[in-house]
Amino acid sequence: MEVPRRPQPSFMLALPKPASSMSAMGAVEKVTKKGPMKEKLERTDDQVGQGKRNSEEETFESGVSVFVEASADSSELVDTSTARTNSRLPSQDSFSEESSISEERLAEEAKEAKKKSEEEAAAAKERAAQRQLLAIEELVQSERNYLRMLQLSTVTIRSNLQKLQPPLANLDSMFLYIEEVIDVSGRLLSLLDQKQVKPGDPHFLETLCNSFLSLSSDIEAAYKEYLANYNQVTVIENGYKQKEALWNEIVKVIKASAPEVNATSLSFFLVMPVQRIARYPLLLQTIQKHTDPTHPAYPLLEQTAHTSIALNCRINEYKRFREVADKYKKTETLTIKDKINRLNSHSIAKKTARFSQHFKHETGIAAKLVDEEFDALEGFFYVLENGILELLENVETYLNHLQAFLACKTEEFDFDMDGEKAPICYKEITTALRQWILPTFEKRMRTLIHKPLCALRDLLVGPRNLIRKRLDKLLDYELIEAKSNLSYEEQAVANTYRTMNTLLLNELPQFNGLALQMIWSMLGTFSCLHKDLASDMEQLFQSFAQQLPHSSVHPAAFWEWAESAVLEGARRLQTLCQSVQDSLNSPVVQPLSPSSQRRLKQLTDKHGSGKIYQVMTTVVGSRDLDLNLVKGELVAIISEADTRGDKRRWLVDAGGRRGYVPNSKLIRYHQPAEDPPPSPHLTLPEGMSGVRRHSYTPQSQPLTITRQPCFQVLAAYDFTARGNHEVSVRAGEPVRVLEPHDKRGNPEWSLVEAGDGQRGYVPSNYLAMMPTGTGPSSSYYPYC
Amino acid sequence: MALSTSLVFYFCCGQLEDQTKKLHKDMKKSTEADLAMSKAAVKISADLLSNPLCEQDQAFLESMTALDTAMRRMDAFNQEKVNQIQKTVIDPLKKYSGVFPSLNMAVKRREQALQDYKRLQSKVEKYEEKEKTGPVMVKLHQAREELRPVKEDFEAKNKQLLDEMPKFYHSRIDYFQPSFEALIRAQVVYFTEMYKIFSELTDQIDQAGLTDEQRERETEAKLSELRALSIVADD
Repeated sequence: MEVPRRPQPSFMLALPKPASSMSAMGAVEKVTKKGPMKEKLERTDDQVGQGKRNSEEETFESGVSVFVEASADSSELVDTSTARTNSRLPSQDSFSEESSISEERLAEEAKEAKKKSEEEAAAAKERAAQRQLLAIEELVQSERNYLRMLQLSTVTIRSNLQKLQPPLANLDSMFLYIEEVIDVSGRLLSLLDQKQVKPGDPHFLETLCNSFLSLSSDIEAAYKEYLANYNQVTVIENGYKQKEALWNEIVKVIKASAPEVNATSLSFFLVMPVQRIARYPLLLQTIQKHTDPTHPAYPLLEQTAHTSIALNCRINEYKRFREVADKYKKTETLTIKDKINRLNSHSIAKKTARFSQHFKHETGIAAKLVDEEFDALEGFFYVLENGILELLENVETYLNHLQAFLACKTEEFDFDMDGEKAPICYKEITTALRQWILPTFEKRMRTLIHKPLCALRDLLVGPRNLIRKRLDKLLDYELIEAKSNLSYEEQAVANTYRTMNTLLLNELPQFNGLALQMIWSMLGTFSCLHKDLASDMEQLFQSFAQQLPHSSVHPAAFWEWAESAVLEGARRLQTLCQSVQDSLNSPVVQPLSPSSQRRLKQLTDKHGSGKIYQVMTTVVGSRDLDLNLVKGELVAIISEADTRGDKRRWLVDAGGRRGYVPNSKLIRYHQPAEDPPPSPHLTLPEGMSGVRRHSYTPQSQPLTITRQPCFQVLAAYDFTARGNHEVSVRAGEPVRVLEPHDKRGNPEWSLVEAGDGQRGYVPSNYLAMMPTGTGPSSSYYPYC
Repeated sequence: MALSTSLVFYFCCGQLEDQTKKLHKDMKKSTEADLAMSKAAVKISADLLSNPLCEQDQAFLESMTALDTAMRRMDAFNQEKVNQIQKTVIDPLKKYSGVFPSLNMAVKRREQALQDYKRLQSKVEKYEEKEKTGPVMVKLHQAREELRPVKEDFEAKNKQLLDEMPKFYHSRIDYFQPSFEALIRAQVVYFTEMYKIFSELTDQIDQAGLTDEQRERETEAKLSELRALSIVADD
C-alpha cells in the first residue's frame, strides 16, 4: 500500500525568500520601525499594545506565524526597553549598559514572558489541530485508495487473468475471502459518506469512531478468515512463479490492467488486507496523539484505538488456531507424546528399582534394599525441586526483561516525517510488535508456563516435609529395630515409620514422573510460542516487502549501503557544524572609543600587547577582590590563576583597578589591520594608521611542532591570497608557521602551511595563538 | 518576516532535538532489554541442560540439548542484530543530537548580535535627533562607526542561520532514511531466523496440534493428578 507523501503543511512558512537582501532588509525595517514609535514607549503599558500593532501590520500566510511573530516582537520589546533606559544613562562610556535591573522592568519581563509562552502554546495547539486533520484525512483517503486497489485486483486483474490460456490453476481460491473484506471496507466508507460530514468538521471524528466501532465485529469476521487463508495465496503464487513463461504472462497482465500502479505480482494487491488491518492502530493512535484530551470525542477515539488492537489480537489468535487445526487434524505425530508419556511413574520406579537391584547385588545386603531405592527417589526429588525453582526464577527474569522491552516505546517518536515510507513502516512494525504481538506472547507465557510452574513449585512443599519427617522416624526406628520384644509405644513408632516409608516409596515415583512430564511439555510450549511470535512478525513483514527501497537488495550489499550512507550522513553533519561555527564565531571588530583607545595604550605600554583581553559580557564580581567590568572593556592579564591556583580566575589590570575576573568572560583582544600590508618581499609598508596590535608577535620563538605543542596557531580571519606568494586561509583554520617573517625579515608577513598543504604568506596579524587545551570542535577562544 | 521564519524553524528544531534525544534513549534501553531477554532465554536452557534431571532419560536429554542449541543460535543472531542497529541507528542518532548545541549556540549568538545591533542603532537615532552641535556631530559619527560592523555582523549571522537551519531541518529526512530501513531489515532477518529455528525445534520437542485451551487442560490434568497424591499437602 503506497504511503502517500505528506502534503506540504500550510503552517510551515515557505522557506526564506531567496533574495538574501530581503532578510537583511526585514531586520533593518524591524529596527527602524521602532524609531517613530519610540515616544510611545515612555509608557510601559503601551509595550503590549505596540506588539499587537506591529504584528497586524505584517501579512502572514497562516495563523501560526502570527503567534510566533508576536512572540518575537515581545522579546524585541524587552530589548527596546533596555535600549530606552540605556539612552537615558548619563554615562559617557559608550559600552556601558545599565547594571541595575529595576523592579518595574522585571515585572514587565515576566508579563512579556507569560504572553510569549501563551502565544507559543496557541501556536502549538494550532499545529496539533493541523496534524490531527491531516491524520484523519490520511485514514480516510488511504481507505479509499485501499478499496480501489482491492476492487481493481478483484475485478479487472482477475477477469484478465481468467482469460489466460491455459487457464490458471487455483486462481479462484486466491480470491476466496477478499469479497468480504471489500464489502466491509466499502461499508465503512459509505457510513462516513452518508453522514455528509467532512473531515474538517468537528463531528467527523465522532462519526469516524462510531462507524469503525459499529463495524468492528464484521471487520474481525472478514479479516480473520482472510488472514487465516492468506498462506494459501502465497503458496499458489509461488507455484505460478515456478513456471517462468507463465509468470511473465501474469505480470504482463497485471501491468496492463493497472498501469499506474507499480505492481509486479498478484500478492502486491492481495497482501493489502494483511497490512491494512495492522495499520488501523497506528492511524488511530496518530489521530489520538494530536487530539486534545478535552475534545468531546476523545474517549470514543481512545476506545476505537483500543478496539483496533484487540481486533488484531483476536485475528492473529484465530489464525494460529486454524493453522493448528488444519495442519494437524489428520496427522497427529505421536512420537513426542509417546516419549513424554513414557516418563511416567512406572518408568521412574523401574529405573530406580534397577539401580537399587544393582546395589543389592554389589553389597549383598538385602535389608538395605529399601533404603537404596528410597535414596534414589529422594535424590531425584531434590534434583527436581532445584530444577523447578531455578527454572521459575529464570522464567521470571525473562519476563521482567520482556516487560522492560515493552516499556521503551520506540515507535512513539515524532520527527515530523509522517510522509516518509521508511519511518512509517518502522512505526507500524514496532506498534504491532509492542502493542499486540509481543503482549500476546507474554500473556501466553504467563498462562501456559509461569502459572503452572508456580503451581508446581507450591506442590513441592508436601513431599519435602514428608521426606524430612520420615528421616526423623527412621532414626527413631533404627534405635528399636534390633529389639525382639517391642513395647506398645515402640511398635507404634515402628509402624509409623513403615507406613511413611511405604507411602513415599509408592508415590514419589509418580510425583517425580508427572513433574518431569510437566516441565518437558512447558519447554515444548516455550518453543512453540517463539515460533508463533516469529510467524506473526513474518506475516507483518510481508506487507512491507514491496514498499521499501533496497528490500530486494542482497543482505551483504544492503548493510554495505546502510553503513556507508550513515557515514556519509555523519560527514555532512560535521560539515554543517563546522560551517555554522566558522561563520558565527568570527568576532566583531569594533572601532574603539577614545577612552578605550587610551586604556588600550596604557595597558599595552605597561603589560605588552600579548596580554590584552576584552570583556565579552558584563561581569559583576561576587567575591572579594572580584572586579565589576562592563562588556567590551579592555583589560590586561597579570596572572592566569588566583592566589589559590584556580586557573579559571584571572588577575587583571583594568586601567588602574586590579582584581579577579572569570577567564570564561575574557577574549583575547586583537585587531587586524584595515588593509593587509602590500605583498611580501617589498619594503616596509607606509601609512599604516590607527592602533594596530599584533596578536602573533613574530619576535617570539617560531613554533616548532613538537610532540605536545602547548600552543596552536590558527588563522583568526579569512584571508584571500592576491598573488602566487600568498595563501588563502579561512577563519579558524589551523596553520603551521614555517617562517614568522618574509624573505626580507619583514615580520608583518608569515610563511605558513595551510590545512590543505599549500604554502604561502599571510599577514602575521591575521594569525592567533591558542592554547591547545581547547578541542578542535569547540570554539577557538576561551568562551564559557 | 525573516525573523519569524527562523523562529518557526527554531521551534521545530527544538522539538526535533527533544525527539531525537528521546528516541536515542528509548533505542538504547530497548536494545539493552532485548539483549538481556535473549541472555535470559539462554540461561533457561543452559541451566536445565546442566541439571542432573537430564541424565534420567535419553529422550529428555536430547530435547534439552536441542532447546539449548536453539537458544544459543538465537542469541547469536540477536547479538548480530543489535550490533547492526548500534552502528546504523543508535550511533547516528547520537551524532545528530550532538549538532543541536552548536545550532542553539548559533541562535544565541545571533540573538546577542541583534541586541547589540539594536542598542547601537537606537544610540545613533538618539544622536540624530539631537541639536546638531559640534560635539554631537562627533558623537554621532562615532556612533555610526560603531554601528556599522555590528550591523554587518548581525546581518551575516542572520543570513547564515536562515540559510542553514532550513537545510538542516530538511536534512533529517535523508539522514535517517538508512537508519529506519536498517532497523526494519535487521528485524526481518532476525525473525526469519527465529521462525526457522523454532519451527524445527517445535517439531522435535513439542506435542503437535495443540491449541492453548488443550495445553491448559493437559496441564491442569497433571496438576490434579499430583494433588490427588497423599504425599502432596492439600491445603
